Amino acid sequence: MSNPILKVENLHVNFNTYAGTVQAIRDVSFDLNQGETLAIVGESGSGKSVTTKTLMGLNAKNALIPDNSRLMFKDRNLLDLTEEEWQSVRGNEIAMIFQDPMTSLDPTMRIGMQIAEPLMKHRKMKKEAALARALELMKGVGIPNAEEHINDYPHQWSGGMRQRAVIAIALAVDPEILIADEPTTALDVTIQAQILNLMKELQKDTGSSIIFITHDLGVVAGMANRVAVMYAGKIVEYGTVDEIFFNPQHPYTWGLLNSMPTTDTKVGSLVAIPGTPPDLLDPPTGDAFASRNEYALAIDLKEEPPFFRVSDTHYAATWLLDERAPKVTPPVQIQKRWTRWLEIQGQGAQS
Amino acid sequence: MWKYILKRLLLLIFTLFLVVTATFFLMQIMPGTPFTNPKLTPEAIAQLKSTYGLDLPLWQQYLNYLIGAAHGDFGISFQYQNQPVSMLIGQRLPISAQLGAQALVVGVIAGLFMGAASARNKNNKIDGTLGIISTLGISIPSFILGIILVYLFGFKWPLFPVSGWGDSFSQTILPTLALAMSPAAITTRFVRSEMIESLSSDYVQLAKAKGLSAKEVVNQHAYRNSMIPVLTLIGPMAAGLLTGSTLIEQIFSIPGIGQQFVLSIPSKDFPVIMGTTIVYSAMLMVMILITDILTAIIDPRVRLQ
Repeated sequence: MSNPILKVENLHVNFNTYAGTVQAIRDVSFDLNQGETLAIVGESGSGKSVTTKTLMGLNAKNALIPDNSRLMFKDRNLLDLTEEEWQSVRGNEIAMIFQDPMTSLDPTMRIGMQIAEPLMKHRKMKKEAALARALELMKGVGIPNAEEHINDYPHQWSGGMRQRAVIAIALAVDPEILIADEPTTALDVTIQAQILNLMKELQKDTGSSIIFITHDLGVVAGMANRVAVMYAGKIVEYGTVDEIFFNPQHPYTWGLLNSMPTTDTKVGSLVAIPGTPPDLLDPPTGDAFASRNEYALAIDLKEEPPFFRVSDTHYAATWLLDERAPKVTPPVQIQKRWTRWLEIQGQGAQS
Repeated sequence: MWKYILKRLLLLIFTLFLVVTATFFLMQIMPGTPFTNPKLTPEAIAQLKSTYGLDLPLWQQYLNYLIGAAHGDFGISFQYQNQPVSMLIGQRLPISAQLGAQALVVGVIAGLFMGAASARNKNNKIDGTLGIISTLGISIPSFILGIILVYLFGFKWPLFPVSGWGDSFSQTILPTLALAMSPAAITTRFVRSEMIESLSSDYVQLAKAKGLSAKEVVNQHAYRNSMIPVLTLIGPMAAGLLTGSTLIEQIFSIPGIGQQFVLSIPSKDFPVIMGTTIVYSAMLMVMILITDILTAIIDPRVRLQ
């Protein structure tokens, strides 16, 4: 089943600033398989957005990427591309859905034209043909009476409708990889589900692979096949969506799962991970999460944990998985998840 | 749209009425008299006052002026005897307007290019150089540049005539350049900041993510969006330029309206002062109306009603 369309290897991204060098991405590696949805989860400042910008070649000019970093896509390293070559990749082979539909459409251009633009650029379509295709795309993303609205301007549409238009732009040229950068964060909760369902359906039709960036684990559950949890510019745990939800191993993943409110959550008892993420101008030695981690071991402050194998698909970078580590008892909520995991495993074995 | 324009034009006429009224009564408050020649006998002064209708009660004068102004008759100049003010303005305004229009076109086009070049090369040498040029352009008064241009291209390398008007187009080049510098500099700075804002916006990120080249992003998205605020700047600037520049007209001996307006003040030539003020206000309001219409055309979010 493993058929990676994109291989990210040893990605480092640094930014030179007046204050010093910010190490935004610190050695990130992951694969994206054909047709799957990979969720990248993390809080603000964990490097999610820099990862997406790097994948689109849209990093700010002061970004520095070392030579041993590789983004392998179709037998070429995207990091070696010239700006002209990038232009034939962006919006064509790799497309992106932006976070805020209220600001990501050009307010002075008709929506039909904005959808037609990538077709004219990459498919060399004439304006009329591109607009005809744009109309089909608008229908495809569920815009009612698309004929009447193809000449509308963005301000005439609601946020949910605009995000559909943004999705239509991204899908216009049938990209192989779709990067969705928090595509539902700016939307009403009722609209979120619609947009997520739309994305799932469209993925079924087009077979494209999706990298789904979010800080909301609740959204991940229904969307992703696999999940990578990022913290302070690194991936700390990755696995299938069930493995991350029911058999989490990294204390940071525990924290993320625990801070997700459920219907059981008592009023006034929202859980937060204490502290703030480290300063990436000067990342701490050892495990970057150690200072916020109540399960931190002495070694966490000295040495960075390698990835420990949990299963063939599940790895976590925490010293707790080392055989010399003491056994710790995770929070109650996580213990419940582990119990559920054993049940799922048991059912799997029976059937 | 047409209904809106009609409404604005009616409003414009009402505003002009207020301007006429305010100017008329301000003239009355102004100390001094146009008839200062010591040779004038009291009888002669009374004679003159009667000729110009200044002996009538104030309300009568005001009413006469209003009725006249409504017909385009702003009275007769005190200074240039027997010259109707409307004729004076009619002769001189087109000259000033042509010079101003040329300067506006040159200045705005230069500003658009320099501003965009500056924004696209933010914080590098091109941006720095253009920043220095535009700062100089704003801080050097146009008459100083006028004199420098006269020295360089009229005396050192005599390429263009340095005075006069109406004989050849080449006469207009130096005054146009002198007058265009300040609008060019202001437009450059404005376009630069608007363009930088536009280039960092989400819709430009999306346009880049579509695979458009930097040039396509600027031409198809950033320019139109940064033009919206720039237009609001160009309206009043146009009104100012089209109504003439006293100093530039003086330096290049151009028989424009600016020079005449200034001369009319010390000589208390009330009809000329009032007539010119009204024409200035009318032009400013028309320019602002044009700006609003253009903004509505470029920015679909603006609905004229």
